Amino acid sequence: MRPILIAFIAAVFTTGAWGRSADAPQQVSPADVQALLARIEKLEQRVAELEAKQSATATSAAPQPAASSSESARSTAVAQAQQPKPTPVTTSAEEMQGMHTVLARAGEEYPNLKIRGFADVDFGANSAHGINSGFQLGQFVLHFASALSPKVSYFAEVSLTATAGVYNVDLERTIIRYDWNDLAKFSFGRYHTPVNYWNTAFHHGAWLQTTIARPDMIVFGSRFIPVHFIGAQSEGSIPSGPLGAGYNLGIGNGRSSNLARAGDSGDVNNNRAWLGNFYLRPPALRHFQIGGSVYRDEISLPNSSLLPDGQNFREWIASGHLVWTGETPEFYAEFANVHHRSELTGRTFDNQGGYVQVAYRLPFDARKWKPYYRYDYLQVPANEPTLLDFVNVRKSTFGMRYDISDFAAFKAEYRNGRGNPLPQRSNALALQTAFTF
Amino acid sequence: MIRRTRTIEMLLLTIMLFGGVLSGTAQSKSNDVAVVVNPAAPVSDLTLSQARRIFRGDQQYWNADLPIVLLVRNPPSRERDIILKQLYSMTEAEFKQYWIAKIFRAEATSGPKIVYSNSMAADLVKVIPGAIAFMAARDVDPGLKVVKIDGHLPGDPQYPLR
Repeated sequence: MRPILIAFIAAVFTTGAWGRSADAPQQVSPADVQALLARIEKLEQRVAELEAKQSATATSAAPQPAASSSESARSTAVAQAQQPKPTPVTTSAEEMQGMHTVLARAGEEYPNLKIRGFADVDFGANSAHGINSGFQLGQFVLHFASALSPKVSYFAEVSLTATAGVYNVDLERTIIRYDWNDLAKFSFGRYHTPVNYWNTAFHHGAWLQTTIARPDMIVFGSRFIPVHFIGAQSEGSIPSGPLGAGYNLGIGNGRSSNLARAGDSGDVNNNRAWLGNFYLRPPALRHFQIGGSVYRDEISLPNSSLLPDGQNFREWIASGHLVWTGETPEFYAEFANVHHRSELTGRTFDNQGGYVQVAYRLPFDARKWKPYYRYDYLQVPANEPTLLDFVNVRKSTFGMRYDISDFAAFKAEYRNGRGNPLPQRSNALALQTAFTF
Repeated sequence: MIRRTRTIEMLLLTIMLFGGVLSGTAQSKSNDVAVVVNPAAPVSDLTLSQARRIFRGDQQYWNADLPIVLLVRNPPSRERDIILKQLYSMTEAEFKQYWIAKIFRAEATSGPKIVYSNSMAADLVKVIPGAIAFMAARDVDPGLKVVKIDGHLPGDPQYPLR
């Protein structure tokens, strides 16, 4: 009985071990391949070193003056006798470590500078009279990211935009940032105002955004919300465990008298704008973010004598966003209420804007394709003095994005609706190729 | 005679049991990806959530004086595939686009440093005080500090990075 029991137990464990062994080639094989690759890398590096040493030795050997054949033979024999015998070459761990250390230090030199660009070429056609169809160069944007020290960094964004006659060059962002730690990073400069998710996430990176055009609430040259902000910010994370909370707090010049522009050269009044932005980005839900912002400013319009409500208005913007940045599906929704109160008459005006966008990257062989849809909404009262001539928007956009590579895409859009640029309903077709380099 | 037979039986059983357990542990550890830091880094245990924040660049400092330096293996490598899946939840293309977007938003000045082998990762972690990297658990050098993930070291059955 006992031998049978032993044999049974032995069989159980042996089978278990063999079971694992049988799986082992499949599990271990990729790692072994990696180990072999690493070994090949080491050997290739070693060969390169030896070749370099060999060529250096050949170069340093001075040419011998002409001599008789016997002298030549004797000197050759002496030289051969004096030459050290070749020693067997082995890959030295210390040498590898030394090379790695050099590489590490090379990557930590300050200041260092990295440049990246975004560009796009567009085609547009619209059924409305008065709008010509044709090609258009989009924005050519260059980013400069530079680490000045382990805790100080600089970022700049320059755009070139084709206009009638000339290219408009603009310093979109210039930010110098001092990191205290993850909780507080202080910066100064010109920002994309964090009062809107799209404004900070995509802005001048047409390739980054799924669609061709921005949402109408943040469209190029928009007066609806302040696109840029000049001043100082503190940003960072808030200890919140799995919630992944973060914030931005800022104070700055706010809008200029042209509401589409920021007060780059100085504030138009003696009241600073301030903003607060709070968001949750749980690490366990990588694609998810929810947040809200508030923005307070005083805006001062030109030509006050023509306006019954005066020149100065208090502005209070409240906004919220809910996004899922994944691609199966992708979802963005934002809403903002822009409240203005005349300091002269006390009249108030509320303007609303928002959008919902959904997209889905197709599976399997069609994964380069991503169809999308967006609905834009903008509502400004007709008597709103700060946004005169503003065209309300109700628009649907259907589109398809095709990623020709990891860094370039073709997009096609059909838009139907009213507003931006014309109040009447129209149909539009847009094509774009956008890329980063 | 009977006592001797029993002793041999017990010895055989012990050897088989011990061998079976060891075999399983070794197999498991060889497939695990260890997260390693420079011994100067003030961390020895991370939650999976914290590890995700660190490798995604959302946490950039160990403390006010010590920035985190991310080291990531170049593709293709098994360790990179596991980290992209478990910590980044991204494909290779999404990983590249993620760092482009992060730099675009001025949240980082550069992406992770690329290392071309586990030995290179080990060497760099040893010389960069704030460095964090990942490598096959069997390639971990004695001079590195292996970080527990959710309280587990490579080789533990509940270790998540495999």
